[in-house]
Amino acid sequence: MNIATKRWLPHTVAAVCLLVLLYPLAWLLATSLKPADEVVTSLDLLPSHLEWSNYTTALDGVSGVTVTRLLGNTLLIAGGAVVGNVLSCSLAAYAFARLRFRMSKVMFAFMVATLMLPHHVVLIPQYIIFNRLGLVDSFWPLILPKFLATEAFFVFLIVQFMRGLPRELEESARIDGCGPFRAYWSITLPLARPALITTAIFTFIWTWNDFFTQMIYLFAPEKFTITLALRSFVDQSSTSAYGPMFAMSVISVLPIVLFFLVFQRYLVQGMATSGLKG
Amino acid sequence: MSTVSTTRAPAGVGRTTDPRPRKSERRQVRERQWPAYVFLSPWMIGAVVLTLAPMAVSLYLSFTDYNLFDPPHWVGLRNYQEMLFEDPRYWRSVGTTMLYVVVAVPLKLGLALGVAMLLKSLGRGQGFYRSAFYGPSLLGASMSIALVWKALFNDGGTVPDVLDAVGIHAGGWVGNPDLAVYGVVLLTAWQFGAPMVIFLAGLQQISPDLYEAAALDGAGRWRQFVSITVPMLSPVVFFNLVLEVINSFQVFTPAFAISGGDGGPADSTMFYTLYLYERGFTASHMGYAAAMAWLLLIAIGAITLILFRTSRSWVFYADEEGR
Amino acid sequence: MPEPPNGRLHHPSRRAVLAAAAVGLSTVLTSTLSGCSAASGSTSGGVTLTFSWWGNDDRAARTEKAVRLFEKEHPGVTVRTSNGEFTSYLQKLSTQAAGGGIPDVVQLDYRQVSQYAGGEAIMPLDDLVKARTIRTSEMDKGLLRTGTYQGGQYALPMGRGITGYAYDSAVYKKAGIPAPPPSWTWQDWGAANKKIAALGLKSPDGRPFTGSNDGGGNEDVFETWLRGRGGKLYAGQSELGFTEDDLTAFWSFCDSLRKDGAIAEARDTVQAKSTETSPIGRRLAAADFTWDAPFPGYTGLLGEDIHFAPVPTTGGHQGSYFKPSMLLGIGANSEHPEEAAQLIDFLLNDQRAGDILGFSRSTPPNRKIAARVAKTLQGPEREIYDYAQTMEKYGLDDPPTAPPPGDLAIQTAFKRGYQRVMYGMATPRQAARELIDEANRELRS
Repeated sequence: MNIATKRWLPHTVAAVCLLVLLYPLAWLLATSLKPADEVVTSLDLLPSHLEWSNYTTALDGVSGVTVTRLLGNTLLIAGGAVVGNVLSCSLAAYAFARLRFRMSKVMFAFMVATLMLPHHVVLIPQYIIFNRLGLVDSFWPLILPKFLATEAFFVFLIVQFMRGLPRELEESARIDGCGPFRAYWSITLPLARPALITTAIFTFIWTWNDFFTQMIYLFAPEKFTITLALRSFVDQSSTSAYGPMFAMSVISVLPIVLFFLVFQRYLVQGMATSGLKG
Repeated sequence: MSTVSTTRAPAGVGRTTDPRPRKSERRQVRERQWPAYVFLSPWMIGAVVLTLAPMAVSLYLSFTDYNLFDPPHWVGLRNYQEMLFEDPRYWRSVGTTMLYVVVAVPLKLGLALGVAMLLKSLGRGQGFYRSAFYGPSLLGASMSIALVWKALFNDGGTVPDVLDAVGIHAGGWVGNPDLAVYGVVLLTAWQFGAPMVIFLAGLQQISPDLYEAAALDGAGRWRQFVSITVPMLSPVVFFNLVLEVINSFQVFTPAFAISGGDGGPADSTMFYTLYLYERGFTASHMGYAAAMAWLLLIAIGAITLILFRTSRSWVFYADEEGR
Repeated sequence: MPEPPNGRLHHPSRRAVLAAAAVGLSTVLTSTLSGCSAASGSTSGGVTLTFSWWGNDDRAARTEKAVRLFEKEHPGVTVRTSNGEFTSYLQKLSTQAAGGGIPDVVQLDYRQVSQYAGGEAIMPLDDLVKARTIRTSEMDKGLLRTGTYQGGQYALPMGRGITGYAYDSAVYKKAGIPAPPPSWTWQDWGAANKKIAALGLKSPDGRPFTGSNDGGGNEDVFETWLRGRGGKLYAGQSELGFTEDDLTAFWSFCDSLRKDGAIAEARDTVQAKSTETSPIGRRLAAADFTWDAPFPGYTGLLGEDIHFAPVPTTGGHQGSYFKPSMLLGIGANSEHPEEAAQLIDFLLNDQRAGDILGFSRSTPPNRKIAARVAKTLQGPEREIYDYAQTMEKYGLDDPPTAPPPGDLAIQTAFKRGYQRVMYGMATPRQAARELIDEANRELRS
């Protein structure tokens, strides 16, 4: 009995905790299917009948821009950010973890220090720069910084991971006349896969949800992301269509959930081996 | 850095048969420098153009009166003076933020650690739960979640109803200036996925042998937790703590989304960055906002430094000697 | 993922790597990213105008349609439109202004006019008006003045709005209160609310039903109250037009009505952000201070019993006035002011554009168009049109000139100040003093 309880108890506790934690999401899902008059006033979790028209309305999008387009825009930005971050952060991380250069300590310390930098400090000047370059109201301000390794968190993550990798393989390759670029590309990068996947997952999720930057840089509705569209959905429907709005919320999180489900098994692996012990 | 000695040795070894060791040595030195800069160049461009230069500009703006329209006008320390000595709302926002950090960070980390240990004890079947517990963190503090949150914590929402049923008649949280901030705290704590995953990774790195040995010595569950899990996990706790503290000082989106941007009711969720945003963007006092940003930067730096200093006494590194 | 740029490694430079990064980027991203700037530019001989506004879907659809018609009539001119929700639109515009990238044609709020004109973000339109590129002959002079700054015409009103009071006539009937006439007073209003509260009605969630929302934190309501007493919000661009005593009186009045349970509770007032979340929208109260343009939304949500009445007066002196619901201006850096002016004129004065736009921006400023469109109106839209006619006949004071730039900040401070009163964090007098201090600091800078 003791052993049975031991196996059974944690599962029960986990299941109960899960139910509580996922309740808001169940509420979101249920509300997205409620008829309009039940959304604000009804206190029941379940809708009296399933109002699928919330979804068909939501799919029409906002300001004549379809949800497909909005999702496409968001995917493009998030995809660009993922490629940018993985490439630029791993390049920088390789230098910090493996190469010798003047001021390496100072630069590394600076990189770590930027982890703490509130982005409000650089917001307005950055905006002015992108505006001077004529890049405002395009996706560039959202993607270009990722290709310049501005997210120190990921550089740091990959550095820590690379420091934990055995040097031997790389060293023997260097002895065989393999340059640092070959070593980076064909030896270190494949080994660092878990950290790169972790970077990719977090970049994707964070970029997808990053309402603030998108709000500042994107103006034209046809360039809107799904998050921005959601916001204007709330405000633009003068008799705010809450049902369709919650339906659109569900649509907007589906891609993240799918992305996460596909890659989640790498996540813990990546974290575990990232040498987080500093 | 240990890199120095290890990279040099094989280079020497590899070239012992080279008839011109001196020249190759020189080439080696040059080679060691420039590839590093090539690797670093995207980062360096980003650091200069998108971080250092904007920081300098905003430092300059913090000494000016700048409304976005007219050119900045130098006012010396006036922004700092007004902030520290004349603006009661500034200090209220500092207080609100401190309260938030002190409550939200331990709560979130406690939840993350608790759930991580629970997951570890599950053994098989952990994968499903791990993903499911991560679910809330995926959604971020988006518009939709803020609306869900408002509905759940409002009068007639699930949370006040449940509290009513157990005899706590607090009413809705959203319109109550004493409770509103805790709604934001709970939203933050609810999204404990990232520290949970990091804790889980840390827990999995602790060798099972340690627990077995302790169990043989007759140590109970609690004893094992205190003398094995806590010290072995302390670097991970520290890592999470630093990250969460830094993030929490900059909390913006959940309060912005729930209060509709005004930090209400009656400034009760007017966190530091929200106030900064209001001064800068709503009231067009960019100089003042820049000064606020710089003080925030300094405060975060100081607190991180203190955390690192104290960490020496409680963070235990198993591989103190280095790898 | 592309190979690292090995070919360039012998001549490494920051620019080379940036270029390589850009090449890598462009293989991932397609043509959608072509660097479009917010500012205007010429595309292959033609003229491209940018035009941005805020508003709901209906307004967006109508505006798009009108703009397409303009393009058809002006071959070679392309109009790139962009719209958003009000608060994010304002913020977006101010960051655009910071970078000098204001759109060619821009929809402005009344409060932005002096800031944008003073900051030289929008250009004076006097020459264009004089040349009759933009015709103003059918517009009300008083309304036109709302777009002026230091004697120059910087923006043109695109719609004419007025404050009012949406109320549930069924509840009023039940309480034995007649439909509010244009001369009803604040005392009448207070008494009506007490009568309604005394009915003992309950909201759907079982809470007491009150007479109205609490307008104490609403600067628009205060301004109407103040004007009814012969006062004004601003005496100039850097001076308040009211005193601590005025504000204390107003806040004490609202505060005591709320404490009596005659108007909505604090927690419901702080959450009111839209028709749905207002006390009347949540069926917690019988009325709501609002504007004419959103009124049809109330009947849509709550049914045909909701009607539109005037804001109360002091001794019959109405404080409401016709206010530009929004204005149009031309970005100071526009490369095509002539075409931009043509677009503005088209939107304001073309009969077909008027038919398309309808009342989506409140009453059109062009009298002929307003009268023409009004004939087609029905239901709540007809009601607000008739309301405006009634108020015009009743007699309203001239609108004030555009509020100073600090007004946006003062407006939020106003709301917050009254919240402190509602939650007992400050007395009406303390809060009034705080507000005036803060407002004066705002107006000085």
